Amino acid sequence: MIALTVSAAVATALLTLYADLDSKLHREFRSFGANIVVTAADSGKGLAADALEQVRASAGPDAQAAEFGYAVATTDRGTPVVVSGTDFSAVQKLNSWWKVDAWPSSVDPNSALLGQRAAEFVADERTVQLTFADRPIVLHGVGRLHTGGDEDSRIYMPMAVFRTWTGAPPSLIEVQIPGGSAQVDAAIARLRQTVPGVKVAPVRQLVEGESRIVDKTHALMYGAVLLIALTVAVSVLATLSASVLERRRDFALMKALGGSQSTLMAMFLLETLALALGGVAAGFVIGSAAAWAISQLNFHTATLPHLGVVPLVLLLNVLIAAFAAFFPVRVLRRLEPAALLKGE
Amino acid sequence: MFFRLLMESFRRQRRRKALAGLAILLGTTAVTAMLALATTIGDRIHRELAAYGANIVVYPAADQLEVKVGGVDVKPVSGGAYLHEADLAKLRGIFWANNITGVSPELPVHVLGKTETGSNVDVAATGLWFGHALSNGGAPLKTGAVQMHPWWKIEGAWPQEQATSADGAEAVIGASLAQRLGVKPGDVIRTTAHPGDASQAMTLRVTGVVSTGDASDDQLLLPLNAAQRIAGTPGAVRRVEVSARTKPEDAFARKNPDSLSPKQREIWYCRPYANSISYQIREVIPGARAEQVRRVEQSEGTVLKRISGLMWLISAAALLAAGFAVSAAMATAIMERQVEIGLMRSLGASKATVAMLFYAEAGLLALLAGGLGYLAGSGLAAWLGARIFAGDAPASIGSLLIPVLFPVVVTLALIVAIAGSTPAIRRALTNDPSSVLRGNA
Repeated sequence: MIALTVSAAVATALLTLYADLDSKLHREFRSFGANIVVTAADSGKGLAADALEQVRASAGPDAQAAEFGYAVATTDRGTPVVVSGTDFSAVQKLNSWWKVDAWPSSVDPNSALLGQRAAEFVADERTVQLTFADRPIVLHGVGRLHTGGDEDSRIYMPMAVFRTWTGAPPSLIEVQIPGGSAQVDAAIARLRQTVPGVKVAPVRQLVEGESRIVDKTHALMYGAVLLIALTVAVSVLATLSASVLERRRDFALMKALGGSQSTLMAMFLLETLALALGGVAAGFVIGSAAAWAISQLNFHTATLPHLGVVPLVLLLNVLIAAFAAFFPVRVLRRLEPAALLKGE
Repeated sequence: MFFRLLMESFRRQRRRKALAGLAILLGTTAVTAMLALATTIGDRIHRELAAYGANIVVYPAADQLEVKVGGVDVKPVSGGAYLHEADLAKLRGIFWANNITGVSPELPVHVLGKTETGSNVDVAATGLWFGHALSNGGAPLKTGAVQMHPWWKIEGAWPQEQATSADGAEAVIGASLAQRLGVKPGDVIRTTAHPGDASQAMTLRVTGVVSTGDASDDQLLLPLNAAQRIAGTPGAVRRVEVSARTKPEDAFARKNPDSLSPKQREIWYCRPYANSISYQIREVIPGARAEQVRRVEQSEGTVLKRISGLMWLISAAALLAAGFAVSAAMATAIMERQVEIGLMRSLGASKATVAMLFYAEAGLLALLAGGLGYLAGSGLAAWLGARIFAGDAPASIGSLLIPVLFPVVVTLALIVAIAGSTPAIRRALTNDPSSVLRGNA
């Protein structure tokens, strides 16, 4: 019974984890940020003002999206610099890898974020004076931005201020669709259909790399499950044959009292089956708890018990039990009641 | 006498020993395989994650501000600071040189010229390494843009940097640019020199059309030496992408090395953090600034941590399952031999002797099956690894076996076998020998 419980618990834990693995891993991959980029089909014009709402509506509630507008302004030292208008709260959610000293507050409309390289080209980081087409603006730099990418040489500011200052429309929307390449492809098709006048492109390396790694981890997990199942099967086999051998005398007595071979075997198999069922019931509880603990430990999110794995665990356990019972049954068949009862 | 008992027990009870042995064998196989995979998973996942591009970028410290939108230079910087291509070989000499798996320098240039059909060419181009052998005296590292960007798709062939001569070179063309210019592999683009500087006219033979999915689709990609000739800046490199195997960043990694005590600084320096590798790059390349690409580095760290954590937890599960299997099998083996134990006890063997005999049997079995299981597990891990992570370097016997695991696995097998047989031995010894022998135990 213990052996069968253990086997069911291990099987439940692994299968539950296995079923949840994809969504868990995809969640981890969210930290890479956007996997779809939406730009205007006509690069000269920029996106429509309501493009972000349309994209958000079309991409679904799980997707993250942030819009960016770009313009080239001049700093007080006369260096050209890319300024970008965006929504800081959306960016914070989308690009978790941005290292920022302090995010601008939503209260101050003129607050800005300076890329670490751009910051070296302005005279005063607190009061940044920029000029765009002879229109000056003074921004309050609240912090530096470190990314190691193009963002380092840009200055980010709130979208509303950016638009009134430059008059430039948003030119790019970054979208993150949770899930593998199938979901991303579906989202791209959906975006192309519902949002007019845009070019939708996947960030190719992200989409390809993500599916590949998820697939590989999946395969690895599969191998591990098979290996462990095999080990557990041997343990069940050993325990069951021990239990039969312990009860040789009972079986011999039954046989001596007239029990037929088939009755005995049916009895034994039924007993094993009952044990397997009990094992599954107890094992499911323990295994679900173990899966929950593992995913808490590793992914910091809970894995809830899956009732869907029960049939599979049950089948597996019954198969193991039946296979394990097969050997002891052969021993039983050869049993000579008289000799055994005499004590030889 | 003790040894004879031991040997005879193995000789005469092959079937029972086989079952216990099989349990240990399978258990150790599973544990070895999982441990071997868990210890090597870091490298393998790093190789997969290399698809995301460089995690460290190096550029001249005195550089002007880039004015780039969506990967396109809005106001191309003329002049500006450069790094020296010759300095890059020094990357192979830093403390963590072996962790650097890819190096890809870039030199953006502006190409003016004409196609064969006579249409004007006025496009951006990038000089890159294509299968460059980077060596600092030791074994060369074959690296370049293609290795660093596995998602680039080529129709045709990559250009050869050896094919660059004084007045001609090979090149590949971005897919959307090729469409716009109507250029196909085999065509020739003649570039003209920019007036007033050291740039040269070249004949570019297009060897392929590349699709990258980003701004390079609108560019020409040239071998670096050809780009340097076109721009008239020999040995110049604007930016270098470096792919390095790193340890995920923790609180210690974020410390400023110059604020640490010498001893702490040494520890910081000798850990493969992205920050310490960048620091070492800055040390060897004069005038360079090295920075981790946070989008890749930070996210790689989390993914790597999760997957290897998962592997370790599964290894623990495998260990648990193996422990149960072994202890159950050992218990069975002893239970079957109650009569034998009774006989030995009634013939005057002390409890300690009998226990010793069984422990010795269990230990011997664990050693044998554990050793075999280690071999089988290593093989299985190698096979699984090769199947799942295709493209591994062909493994030799030496790299298949992880010697450190051998004592670990065999010790584990011993502990589990001995611990697993203890309850059974104890129960067998508490039985009264005379009643066991009479047959009503």
